[in-house]
Amino acid sequence: MSDSAGSTDAARRHAFAELVEPQIEVLLRVARSLAGNAPDAEDLVQKALLRAFRGLDVFDGRHPRAWLLTILRNTNANLHRRQRPLIVDNWELIHTSRPAFGAAVQPSAEDSVVADQIDTTLWEAVSALDPRFRTALILVDLNDLSYAEAAAVLGVPVGTVMSRLSRARERVRRAVRPTPPIGEQHS
Amino acid sequence: MITAVRQLLTCHWTSHRVQRYLDADPDAHLAPDEVARLEAHLAACERCTDLVAQHKALHWALSTWSRRSPVDPASVDRVRRFVDELSDGSRS
Repeated sequence: MSDSAGSTDAARRHAFAELVEPQIEVLLRVARSLAGNAPDAEDLVQKALLRAFRGLDVFDGRHPRAWLLTILRNTNANLHRRQRPLIVDNWELIHTSRPAFGAAVQPSAEDSVVADQIDTTLWEAVSALDPRFRTALILVDLNDLSYAEAAAVLGVPVGTVMSRLSRARERVRRAVRPTPPIGEQHS
Repeated sequence: MITAVRQLLTCHWTSHRVQRYLDADPDAHLAPDEVARLEAHLAACERCTDLVAQHKALHWALSTWSRRSPVDPASVDRVRRFVDELSDGSRS
């Protein structure tokens, strides 16, 4: 290899590391949702990164996270060709511990009971969602993906993500909102 | 009567945009005039202000679930080493 080719290759490898490093955590989070457990998620991410490295030459340099998430989805699809359309259905994994709902400070015993009831209600509402809607909710509200990134994971248009997310949130919101007193209810 | 109907229509209009307003996603920005109209309505409508508060609370609650189950740092380290090996040429 000539010096020029060698330095180009070194620059390419360096660029890859720079591009991937900030995305490792989100890739693992999303992969955990896709794969269902942490060891498989790590394996999935490594396979996807190898594909990304080999395909780096065709990457246009824009939206690296969405690019990597697309590769993650495709890698997962190749591993599980016979599986149903992608649904993040292992979300019990995400919700492994259930301390008092959103407690930033130690709640009083009474607050703790109320908070736990809200947490349970929320949990039930999300569980009751159509899996396609729940998946959009998990990717955006739990994994903090943008609409385009969630669309990349699901392989659907951004508008579809928005529609599913909107329905999911609205159903959950209606399920967990405090019941207004009679006479103050809106249609 | 007309004022009440107009108010209801604006509530309906707002409810269809409130998630995009809160998400501020780069692929689904509201136009500046839509933001101005929505914020003006929120300043005057308790019902829609409450709707915004519920959506904020919902998003916050769901994000806390994610934080309770963070990615294992050891797993991040292993993937980071994998990337290092790809980028230094020892694995490709």
